[in-house]
Amino acid sequence: MFSQTFRSLWRNKLSSFLSSLTTGFALFLLGTSFLVSINLGYMYQMAESQMEIQAYMNKEASDAELAAAVTQIRDMPGVSEVKFVSKEAALEELKDMFKDKASVLDSLEEDSPLPPSVRVNTTGAEQIPVVVEALKSIDVINDVIYQEEVSERLAQIGKAVQYLSLGGMLIVGIVAVMVIANSIRLAIDARRQEIGIMKLVGATDGFVLMPFLLEGVFLGLLGSALGTGFAVGVYNWVAGKIAEFIPFMPIVGLETQSIQEMFGIMALTGVIVGLTGSAFSVRRHLRV
Amino acid sequence: MISFRNVSKVYNGSVKALNGVSLHIDKGEFVFAVGASGAGKSTLIKMIYREETPSGGQVFVLGKDLAKMRRREVPYFRRRIGVVFQDFKLLEHKNAWENVSFALEVTGTSRREINRRVSQALNLVGLLDRREAFPNELSGGEQQRIAIARALVRNPDILLADEPTGNLDPKTSMEIFSLLERANLYGTTVVVATHAQDIVNNLRKRVVELRDGTLVRDERRGAYSC
Ligand SMILES: Nc1ncnc2c1ncn2[C@@H]1O[C@H](COP(=O)(O)OP(=O)(O)OP(=O)(O)O)[C@@H](O)[C@H]1O
Ligand SMILES: [Mg+2]
Repeated sequence: MFSQTFRSLWRNKLSSFLSSLTTGFALFLLGTSFLVSINLGYMYQMAESQMEIQAYMNKEASDAELAAAVTQIRDMPGVSEVKFVSKEAALEELKDMFKDKASVLDSLEEDSPLPPSVRVNTTGAEQIPVVVEALKSIDVINDVIYQEEVSERLAQIGKAVQYLSLGGMLIVGIVAVMVIANSIRLAIDARRQEIGIMKLVGATDGFVLMPFLLEGVFLGLLGSALGTGFAVGVYNWVAGKIAEFIPFMPIVGLETQSIQEMFGIMALTGVIVGLTGSAFSVRRHLRV
Repeated sequence: MISFRNVSKVYNGSVKALNGVSLHIDKGEFVFAVGASGAGKSTLIKMIYREETPSGGQVFVLGKDLAKMRRREVPYFRRRIGVVFQDFKLLEHKNAWENVSFALEVTGTSRREINRRVSQALNLVGLLDRREAFPNELSGGEQQRIAIARALVRNPDILLADEPTGNLDPKTSMEIFSLLERANLYGTTVVVATHAQDIVNNLRKRVVELRDGTLVRDERRGAYSC
């Protein structure tokens, strides 16, 4: 049965080749949309992780009080990272910023005029308002500073990005499925005489269908390999160009795992569409 | 073996191809179906292996009422009938050997048995040495003979041939008819639609004549025309 499938693929090599190329191209689009969506997610995460809340604390508070507050903050839900900046450290940072104008700050050597603070990162932009409220309720904290508008916008964008990339992948997925199904249909329509002859010679529907199903699976796999290959190649090329011209733009480096995931999605799409597409297309010609 | 009871066939709701045909063919008979082009010969043949179903009347073949036959029974029924189609219907992507062996593969015959019977059938039609050739590499007569080998390879109960010598020279035509006669000698019921006047006149078999879809003559040891 398998050798027959390969022989048939080989003898119909032009149409097999075109079908797998079409499948590959359709899946390439799907893969590209998958990669774009990974990157949008990544960019959003980067932006999110840079959203920092600064909580300024009472200058007079004792070290023990400060330490207790930091522990309390660490345990808050929605908090991912807490960095304590002591009075002295704050002064060092300030000096660092103005190191060419050191003289201005020399007088401050003795006692730091700056309050100690904590810098808090949240697990997501939507957590920021909650965490801010919780911080404000802590005694030793005098003032909480964060980019209110930016964080709200970011939370909105985050949702939009999720929906958009999901919707985009869905649309591209549907288009890919239609393109693949259509190419299979054309390839099988071209062989409807063959199917009719098989039936007239006494083949059962299953017997006629089987090799077409195997071909469908095989073309689906071949197409998804091609599609993954194209997508990874193009992606790496584009990522290289971007890194060259816009060095600060965050781009996800492709790991083996995401390539495998992508191939998985494509192979699944390719094989399912290959199978059902072949089955439906052949069925139309079986009534002889 | 084959029985038509008042059979009519109307194509597309208007073209009347057969009109009240009643006909009985016994096991082991050899029958010529003759008549002008468009008289309904091919339609008659197609009804026997159920490529077409009657618009009216009943067709019984191999003890079965074809109108009552279920769709899934049809393949098994067709395996008992060998058909040589007017347009050969060979598979373009299969070579001569594969075209013939295919008829056995569909029945799930063992590989060894297939090899034995396919070489026998190809030998019978004199094309064993062309077994690797694809249909487009074979002459019309050779394709015709491959089609006959495919029809005979299953030792069918009934052999149907629709103009098996369509555009062949007299000598090749004669060879093909002797193949059909040979199959008939072994007990296969043979029905041949043909325009080959000389051969019908020479062989003196049963002749049924159609005219515009109506059976106008049924003669034992008949001639092409009366
Ligand atoms: N599939 C079809 N659809 C519509 N009309 C058809 C179809 N097949 C045959 N006919 C018509 O039915 C009539 C009988 O056709 P049929 O093929 O049985 O004739 P025939 O005797 O075999 O002719 P020929 O000697 O040319 O092969 C013709 O008028 C033909 O046009
Ligand atoms: Mg005809």
